[in-house]
Amino acid sequence: MSLARAPLIALAVLAALLLAGLPLVASGYVLALAIGMLNFTILATAWALFSGPTHYISLASAAFFGIGAYTAAMMAETVPWPLVLVAATLAGFAVALVVGLSTLRLSGVYFVIFTFGLTELIRQLVTWYEVIVAGTVGRYLFLGMPQSTIYWQLLALAVAVLVIGWLIGRSRLGLAARVIGADEVVARHSGIDTTRTKIVLFAISSAIMALAGAIMAPRWTYIDPAIAFNPMISFQVVIMALLGGAGALFGPLLGAVPLVLLFEVLQANFPNAYSILLGAVFILIVYGLPRGVIGLIEDWRPAASRSVATLPSRAPRDPNVLTISDLKKSFGGLSAVDSVSFDVRPGEIIGLVGPNGSGKTSVLNLISGALKPDAGQIFYLGRPINGANPETIARLGVARTFQLVRVLPSMSVVENVIPGFAFRARHVTGAAAHEEALALLARVGLEHRAATPASELTYIDQKRLELARALALEPKLLLLDEWLAGLNPTELEEGIALIQSLRFDGLSIIMVEHVMDAIHALCDRCVVMNAGRVIAHGTPRLALAEPEVVRAYLGEDDA
Amino acid sequence: MLRKSLSRLALAAAVSALAGPAARVTTLPNYQLWVKDVNAAGGITVGGKKLQIEVVEYDDRSNSEEAVKAIERLGTQDKVDIILPPWGTGLNLAVGPTFNRLGYPHLAVTAATDRAPEMAKRWPNSFWFLGPSKAGAVALSEVLGKLKSENKIGAKVAMISVADAFGIELATAARAAFKSAGLEIALDKTYPIGTQDMQALLKDAMASGADAVVAFSYPPDTIAITDAARVLSYNPKVYYTAVGTAFPVFKGKFGAAAEGVMGVGGWNVDSPALQAYFKRHTEVIGREPDRWASPVTYVSLQMLQQAIERVGKIDNAAIIKELQTGTFDTIMGKIKLADNIMPIVWWVGQWQNGEFVGLAPTSYEGAKAPLFPKPAWKQ
Amino acid sequence: MLLLDILISGLVLGGMYALISMGLTLQYGVARIMNLAYGEFLVGAAFLAFWLYSTIGISPLAGLILAVPLAFLANWAIYRWLLTPLVRRAKSRGQLEVDSILATFGLLFIVQGIALVLFGGQYYSYGYLSVPVSILGTTLALNRVIAFIFAGLIGVGLYLALTRTRTGTAIRAIAVNPTAASLVAIDVRTASAFAFALGGAMVAAGGVLVSMFLTFNASMGVVFTMKALIVVIVGGVGNVLGALVVGLALGVIETGVTRLVDPGLTLAVTYALFMIVLLVRPQGLFGSAVR
Repeated sequence: MSLARAPLIALAVLAALLLAGLPLVASGYVLALAIGMLNFTILATAWALFSGPTHYISLASAAFFGIGAYTAAMMAETVPWPLVLVAATLAGFAVALVVGLSTLRLSGVYFVIFTFGLTELIRQLVTWYEVIVAGTVGRYLFLGMPQSTIYWQLLALAVAVLVIGWLIGRSRLGLAARVIGADEVVARHSGIDTTRTKIVLFAISSAIMALAGAIMAPRWTYIDPAIAFNPMISFQVVIMALLGGAGALFGPLLGAVPLVLLFEVLQANFPNAYSILLGAVFILIVYGLPRGVIGLIEDWRPAASRSVATLPSRAPRDPNVLTISDLKKSFGGLSAVDSVSFDVRPGEIIGLVGPNGSGKTSVLNLISGALKPDAGQIFYLGRPINGANPETIARLGVARTFQLVRVLPSMSVVENVIPGFAFRARHVTGAAAHEEALALLARVGLEHRAATPASELTYIDQKRLELARALALEPKLLLLDEWLAGLNPTELEEGIALIQSLRFDGLSIIMVEHVMDAIHALCDRCVVMNAGRVIAHGTPRLALAEPEVVRAYLGEDDA
Repeated sequence: MLRKSLSRLALAAAVSALAGPAARVTTLPNYQLWVKDVNAAGGITVGGKKLQIEVVEYDDRSNSEEAVKAIERLGTQDKVDIILPPWGTGLNLAVGPTFNRLGYPHLAVTAATDRAPEMAKRWPNSFWFLGPSKAGAVALSEVLGKLKSENKIGAKVAMISVADAFGIELATAARAAFKSAGLEIALDKTYPIGTQDMQALLKDAMASGADAVVAFSYPPDTIAITDAARVLSYNPKVYYTAVGTAFPVFKGKFGAAAEGVMGVGGWNVDSPALQAYFKRHTEVIGREPDRWASPVTYVSLQMLQQAIERVGKIDNAAIIKELQTGTFDTIMGKIKLADNIMPIVWWVGQWQNGEFVGLAPTSYEGAKAPLFPKPAWKQ
Repeated sequence: MLLLDILISGLVLGGMYALISMGLTLQYGVARIMNLAYGEFLVGAAFLAFWLYSTIGISPLAGLILAVPLAFLANWAIYRWLLTPLVRRAKSRGQLEVDSILATFGLLFIVQGIALVLFGGQYYSYGYLSVPVSILGTTLALNRVIAFIFAGLIGVGLYLALTRTRTGTAIRAIAVNPTAASLVAIDVRTASAFAFALGGAMVAAGGVLVSMFLTFNASMGVVFTMKALIVVIVGGVGNVLGALVVGLALGVIETGVTRLVDPGLTLAVTYALFMIVLLVRPQGLFGSAVR
């Protein structure tokens, strides 16, 4: 919070006060329009809270809005209004949890498909309940609530949503969401519990939508499932959020206000072609303004980085950093890893080599949690980690780089490193994280590119960045998957020197490599694999000279 | 899907157009017809001068929120003299408070709800032209009860209803009404709106052994059920599908096969005034009116015109009072509202010789005896 | 007897679902386009058949000859002009999915809007061959049986084409791994366009067939898209046989629920099935790729 912010805050407060005074001066129609704008601002901002950073497109806004409206309709005649609002919010939250638990463990497309039909499903379920259990379809809401009351409630909710959005944006939850949206694999390997993050955000977003629905319900006097669950709303919300820009807090607001006016104009003058024009506007936005109006603005201003809170934790002692015994993994009929055993002592660099397809990367994936072993044990610092989640393993201090470099292209170099700090066991956030991130960047030689977007880095620099992100986790064990691949001789020398320097920090390293010079230069020991099995084990010079190894690489005739 | 029509009239008027299926059948054509008739006669006489009606319309797209906004706009922005309400129970209820607050008379025609009397008390400016929906079940039980007492049908009735307010209200009322008439409900099932395959339900009806099949349905299901019955060659002695039977599209689709089908609606076919209205509607609008709410819509507008002319100026409070207490000359005869509710609502009609005649309430002028049994479906 | 009735009626209904879903699995599994506007083409084809029948008197079965190629061309055009820029722009498969979802969502409203303008919101039906026919003691409408037969023929034909011809094998290869496919000289772009167009042609065939007995209106497309999506996922994305089997199964399950439990719960049951599959085997019953 800096001094430069103060005038902006004052302006915002002034705007809020002025808006609060609207009902006193405006006509019924203007007030009705304003209510529409506030309602859609709330819905679009809530939508963008979840779908914006994570890119999981929810097409179910109408379902949650309707749940809130119908809850209000069912309870308002008998329960005091504040309790009704609480009930509606909780109902939205609960349903979102069910939906989230079913679909958010999986990739985004399942979620989209599920939400596509969700509004219709809930409408049918509510109808069924009303007909069979309650014996009545349609509820009457005679609260006599004037427009101004509804307006003020919506205004309060809109301010609250913007504040919540701002708080989330600055929190670890928001950071986690952004990383998930950029690259979910990286997120998991940075210690982020992606499933929980997604579910929590989705539930918050949906609860807000339900609350908006409850506030709006008294306007319609009579609510039946068809009235409460109007699929058009899902569409309008998405189009507004996308127009304004789902990536920024005020984006949806920028989209909602003009579109409400546009819809009103279209309604009045082209009611026939309403649907067509909406669809056309939507497509224009998708093609022309993929990041919305905010995206246009942001192209002139670089974004700042942010982070959050912290808590300490411990790890137990054990002679070996890593012990693998009898590890097995098959895919279908193919045995990718077949009874592999070796160990890694503190401060060692182990080379994992072998021809293509020998199972080296699979071993790394099994260690980092990306794959679950079919059999065998993996002990890290004395703890069994076979079958654990990638994020749990990452938090315990196992970091890795990837065979195909995975940086988060839309974020800056320093922002790419922050997740490692924010989600490790001893997390650091805020200015402290920023400081430490810069130090780490200096370690890998990237301090001058701290603010550059990661997509603009050269190949070797991207590899350095990945390494920095891995180091940010404060790992005891580092897994490098062909980190030296594709480098020219100069870069190779620098790379080898960098890895060499890491061991002096007390790090243990397993490196999968094909570059034999590096293996000889760096590795204390070497594990050679072929067709899933370990065929040799020892110092590089001895292991690589073994006849079976030569046969494996070069074939029978050249042995 | 379903649209409403919304209108505001006189001196500056508004009608919402582009209706969906039902509004296009009932409300919109009759608003248009009335405006034409009035303007052709010179206009509405207001304080000695004849004023033409100018129409402003908004489309509510069958959406409660849009309807509420549109009424606000008409009242506070466009500041019109008369506002005509949308189609449908839900929308009329939605705009009720706004009409009440703005003080305009609210002629709720296409709204069938058991709570109509309560609405009328809550909003004294509102007038409900179809009355409580349970009257529909009562009227039907009258017809069926009579047939049973004449030993023409057994006591068993198979009842299916659409899972929506109107269907449920009718079914709930029917359970009580049928029982009082000595009838036994052998099948009692509901189906969701949009169900396409009605064969399953009809097979259950066949298996129940009922002589009378009653479907409290909406237009698309009315057609689907009738179609399925035809395919199955299921010919119960009494066959009733609720809403939509009285629409021209029903006769259009089924032709001679519609003979003997009962449904909601009806009218006094002997009345010269109604016959003239029928002809005019067909000529001006290009298609026939429906045999239920169409004439009622026209009646409500006639009443409004006469009320305005009697008061002599656009004084809503006075107009409302006149509507509450006065007696009016309409195509359905002399009408005086009872506690803001229309006293004549035909609830059972039947296609006889190509016309949908009124059967019940049997006490109404022009009520005919039912054609019994329903002839076998002509393929 | 009741169970047999349910089975037969259910299979006939399922044939419709199977036909529709096979097209979508081609579009999504091969062209990687999540086409939310899919059901609108079904409705569009239904309207076309209606128009042909009521104004010119061409029977829907003959109308297939016009509708199917028309739909093929239309979908090819959509892929070429509307979707290819997205395909080019997408840096990953995930991003293409998101973009195609949004773009086809907009397309949904455009197509629905056009149908509304041309035909209004009301329901249409023009019972064709609405005569009863008895199969194993169950009375069915002839048009539904014909639709089922046609669905079966088209489905089997498609399956054979995909497994016995070179083009078909190329298409299946792309469904498994587009990168590898391009490495073996398969023109992924053209084949994807072809698959997309073929999927569109199939859904149009489905639309013409169901228009014989369904009461349809301009807004009905969404429900079909929804069910097709679920069938595709449950069957395994890109797997035509899976779509066929699951589509038939869905028809039987829905009919069973309607007759034995409550007609108001059919979509709920479909979703329940969906959720179970998501929890137990997300790649689908017949799918192999772990995503």
